[in-house]
Amino acid sequence: MKLQQYLGGLENVGPVSTEKRVFVEEWEKQLFGVHMCMMGTGIWAWPHLRVKAEGMNPLDYFKYRYYIKWLGGMCAFLIERNYINEEELDELTDYYLENPDAPLPEKGNPKVTQAVVDYMYTGDDPYRDVANNPVFKIGQRVRVLDPPSAVHTRLIGYLRNQVGVIDEVYPKAVLYSDSVPTDSISVPQPIYRVKFMTREIWPERPDTSDSLFSEVFESYLEAA
Amino acid sequence: MSNKDDGHHHHLREQESYYAARTKALESLFREKNLIGQDTVDRVIGFFETEMGPFNGAKVVAKAWVDPDFKARLLEDCNAAIAELGIRDGIEGENLMAVEATKSVHHIVTCTLCSCWPWPLLGLPPYWFKDPAFRARIVREPREVLQEFDVKLDPSTKIEIWDSSAQVRFFVVPVRPEGTEGWSEEKLADLISTEAMQGLGLVHAN
Repeated sequence: MKLQQYLGGLENVGPVSTEKRVFVEEWEKQLFGVHMCMMGTGIWAWPHLRVKAEGMNPLDYFKYRYYIKWLGGMCAFLIERNYINEEELDELTDYYLENPDAPLPEKGNPKVTQAVVDYMYTGDDPYRDVANNPVFKIGQRVRVLDPPSAVHTRLIGYLRNQVGVIDEVYPKAVLYSDSVPTDSISVPQPIYRVKFMTREIWPERPDTSDSLFSEVFESYLEAA
Repeated sequence: MSNKDDGHHHHLREQESYYAARTKALESLFREKNLIGQDTVDRVIGFFETEMGPFNGAKVVAKAWVDPDFKARLLEDCNAAIAELGIRDGIEGENLMAVEATKSVHHIVTCTLCSCWPWPLLGLPPYWFKDPAFRARIVREPREVLQEFDVKLDPSTKIEIWDSSAQVRFFVVPVRPEGTEGWSEEKLADLISTEAMQGLGLVHAN
């Protein structure tokens, strides 16, 4: 079991952050820029970053700030895939630690910037042109399955074994990703918006008529 | 490598100066290997300051408040409706969905698995949205978390939570505050916070 796949509903974690800034240190902007470059040039995609986040020590996941985790995940991925090597990264890190004002090399590929901007205005298309024959219908009761732990999942931990009602059947088949190891979402499939009652998920909480909506891949569902 | 594991270096590796140097080293290597342009980072950051940011969402909400027909189209097909206002969609907003808060139903958006967020309307997610404690608590004890954001709901208000887990990115049209009748869209837009457009704030006229 990976804690990061079961975060929702975890108790005793203390006050929440109300920090409204997107970046709290200047280096985070630079890191985000490099990340966006990696996305826009196809070096990686969200699922690669999520695999790294879900694979982290859960205590570290709570301990480190968001972009500190990204920095670790990006460097590890780039080293694994041989885009960079660890020795050169460590050497340059030491160099910039000793010379924080040293300029960046005046080199690079000028075509990348426009490609990245074009990508940001286009995004990703998760839909696949395959027959979408959804098994479930609007209004039908469904139970969320409880499959074994996977390297990466989009199954929300607190929804496992819960019963909800199909609220929407999305019209096209979605491929989540076939480039990372998942439980059952590496093939195109229907997706549903499912409505759950929070009092059924957390019956120990004060009774309300609050509800919770989430999108669930068909392979995570069975008829209830 | 062994000298990196002593106490001094371990301590150093958890400092902002180390993260800054390592990030700079990363961009430096990208430049050396022709994987990035010299202006790529600045252009990306500028993009989220001028092209994709919460100013887009506020413009959409203000329009929805003054134009019921637009609001109906927004709730029906969010991407098509924002295009009417000249707002381009794109990454993390290929499939947007707007939900309308009322006096009896309050909507809250979260992403308990990661940090999915409607970028074309709100730019990049602020730290609170990405906080593991926020993501752990918001689904199970939303009223307590709202209090930490100084949001007080009437006890009879029903909460609907939207936990993003696939392709759709959710966006909240908050309740228009009383006392704003006849206001221009620009003046209304100035009242609307990022938090209000994900359900962690209310809009006040003051």
